Amino acid sequence: MSEPADTQLVPPSSVVLVSGGSRGLGLAIVTDLLDAGVRVAAFARTITPELEKLTAEHPDRVHVGSVDVTDLRAAQSFVREVEQRLGPIDGIVNNAAMGQDSLHAHTATDDIARIIETNLTAPLQLTRLVIRRMLTKGLRGRIVNITSICGQRGFPGLVAYSATKGGMDAATRSLARELGGRMLVNSVAPGFFASEMSAVLGPTQLDQIVRRTPTGHLTEPVEVTPVVRMLLREHTNINGQVIVVDGAAAI
Amino acid sequence: MHSLGCRLRRMNELSRAQIRDLMAQVLKNQDKELPADDAAQLREIGFRSLDFSELALRVEDETGEELNFDAPGLRRIATVGDVLDFLVELQHQ
Repeated sequence: MSEPADTQLVPPSSVVLVSGGSRGLGLAIVTDLLDAGVRVAAFARTITPELEKLTAEHPDRVHVGSVDVTDLRAAQSFVREVEQRLGPIDGIVNNAAMGQDSLHAHTATDDIARIIETNLTAPLQLTRLVIRRMLTKGLRGRIVNITSICGQRGFPGLVAYSATKGGMDAATRSLARELGGRMLVNSVAPGFFASEMSAVLGPTQLDQIVRRTPTGHLTEPVEVTPVVRMLLREHTNINGQVIVVDGAAAI
Repeated sequence: MHSLGCRLRRMNELSRAQIRDLMAQVLKNQDKELPADDAAQLREIGFRSLDFSELALRVEDETGEELNFDAPGLRRIATVGDVLDFLVELQHQ
């Protein structure tokens, strides 16, 4: 930590890898980055019609693949394809994750292992893979981890999920230190979305969260994408931070 | 082999009446009583979600089989009958 600081600025990312980019927030991030003129590589287990449409609209700026984030070998060959088609990757958004909705005592041990593998092990391995490529090429870049308010606040039914999100927030801080300013590493932690994974919370719990939220509504993906874009594209000195986007529900 | 395996599992299964007895024990430990009426509301008798967890774990202890389940099913449970139906059904999964 006592090494001299690397004072050169980290340029905006020009080729961004987005995991879990086929629906929900991931798809919104891919769409937003394409609108901003960025080249985007998106993968997910299943390529949705929405993602296919984006590929058709921007054939020279999008590369999509059907890859399970826990399949490191498949992720590796996808990264190689991306480098050939779009150029070296200098940004990554770790977005792919699986949800949970079961009390810890009644969650199958296999399910706990699967949640940790998908939400913690896989993004750490993918990040390792991409930073190795960036370091080899002498590139500077940006890393954005999509975590969750669950990493900082408690919610029943989300014990293993919360552990992975808190784990990624902790990794964000250590990675920011370790990469010594050559890469900016941050987390974006949304509150609950009205759709998708947070359908798991149940209407009563969601109503309660809305009532406690000063802005009076649950978070929408379009409210998160500008923050992700800023972390990937703007010149800021934000590094090692967790930015919560939840309308102050947790404050 | 296969049918024997199935029969053994069925033998381990608890009946609705046996589960009702276990439910009564869970409540009795808290000085509460289980009404005879299956339509009785859990909210009124003070049977909460962790009491349901305790009951499910007691059923596991009796049968030796883990009963794992998601929370959405739990949220639909409102009456004593719902609890018994849920646990009877869960043993078949």
